[in-house]
Amino acid sequence: MATQPAQPAPGPPYDWARLVGHSLEQNGPWVTWEKLVEARRAYPDDMLLRGYAEIVRTTIVRDLLANPRGLQATPKLTPEFLSDFDRFNLTAQEGYLISLIDGRITIEMLLKLTPFDNFTTLFNLAKLQNQRAITVPS
Amino acid sequence: MTRITTLLDNLSMAIAVVDENGAISYRNRCFDEAFGSGADEWIVRNARAVAGERGWLQSFFMDEDPEHSIDIEFNGRTYHVERIPSSGDAKEIALSFEDVTRQREAEQAKSDFTSMIVHDLRGPLSGIQGTLEFVLSQETARLDSLYEELLREASRESERMMSLINELLDFSKIESGNFDVGHDPVPIAALLKRSVHSMQSVATRDAIHLISGHGIDLPLLSGSEEKITQAVINLVSNALKFTPRNGVISIGAQVLRDQDGPRSVVVTVTDSGMGIKAEELTKLFEKYKQTKNKSLRGGGGTGLGLYIVKQIVEAHGGHVSIASIGGVGTSMVIDIPVRRAA
Repeated sequence: MATQPAQPAPGPPYDWARLVGHSLEQNGPWVTWEKLVEARRAYPDDMLLRGYAEIVRTTIVRDLLANPRGLQATPKLTPEFLSDFDRFNLTAQEGYLISLIDGRITIEMLLKLTPFDNFTTLFNLAKLQNQRAITVPS
Repeated sequence: MTRITTLLDNLSMAIAVVDENGAISYRNRCFDEAFGSGADEWIVRNARAVAGERGWLQSFFMDEDPEHSIDIEFNGRTYHVERIPSSGDAKEIALSFEDVTRQREAEQAKSDFTSMIVHDLRGPLSGIQGTLEFVLSQETARLDSLYEELLREASRESERMMSLINELLDFSKIESGNFDVGHDPVPIAALLKRSVHSMQSVATRDAIHLISGHGIDLPLLSGSEEKITQAVINLVSNALKFTPRNGVISIGAQVLRDQDGPRSVVVTVTDSGMGIKAEELTKLFEKYKQTKNKSLRGGGGTGLGLYIVKQIVEAHGGHVSIASIGGVGTSMVIDIPVRRAA
């Protein structure tokens, strides 16, 4: 058995810190996240870019958990989703998650019920909230 | 010329001029006194690769770094060999041999002493920590609230002291060159799960959400499970110091692939803390360097935690980077190659 040395991270093609910071201020975390997903496709080996993407994802999850009830908050489906769910282009993970939401189950219980890692579940909940498929009343 | 030869012969440092085959064209008196008649054969032997290893003399001809230097052993003594800069014929180089036997012995003694002290400190401290944890795990209703708070404070401080001691111990190992990570299979998914679990109580106590964001389908790494665990825990401990209450610390892992399959695993430890200034970022992995940000949990550190992380990651053939945005957060990214069949 042998290991292959990791490729050193290439130098950043852009000043990610400035670009991401500026985008967060101007556009908020979700637009910034979408831009970072595109950038990551273009520069898959840029480790700094991965770091900045993780900072934005973590900010999004922090905002979800800033709900005064935290993990005890109970997500609810929105009337908009119930009346027109075809409009929402959900991924398989998001679809599974939303199938568990019944208006009584807390975020903490969702974390236990889903097979995904906790961060993915929280991030998907934040995404559903941002798309107005669910609300998380405080 | 005679004056220069006389001058060189009166130096207290051994000097020789050799070619890439090990033939000595000049040696001063100190060189003869130090190495005697066995020197010629010894030098020639080290101009070649020995058992697949580069001979020390060979390294001077093959290494383009003009400041390349090396410690060598001869007849039980240690010599520090350096190239003497010259603009002459590149086929020959002048080398100085400084006897550093006593200096290296003193360094080793210092390193051994540090290891012994920190080991001796760690023993009783483990006992104190265990006792505090036992008392605190009892029915808290039975503890007077003032005593409970004092015990919790003592527990926090003993944890901090243990962390400082462990950092000193690792630093001592790194500095003594006794830092071999081996080639054992390392199940990274289980390692990350355990790391999160072991830090969860500290995060909960400080009202911080410590969240794992990695699947179980991660390839094996090669090296030391203990050392990689320590690197991850150092990163999480660092994040805990600078993340405010109700903040989030996430631990993620992704696999990078190439045409031959998984190439490396990228582990990220990201916090929603105060961020680090750009001018400080590049220096954070140096010895004794700390961010100017004030720890939110009180107490300082040795400034060795991130230096140790870098040494561990690089010893595994990996690379460490840091991304940060002021007022938003910081992400430490470590990229470690996977174990592949030869």
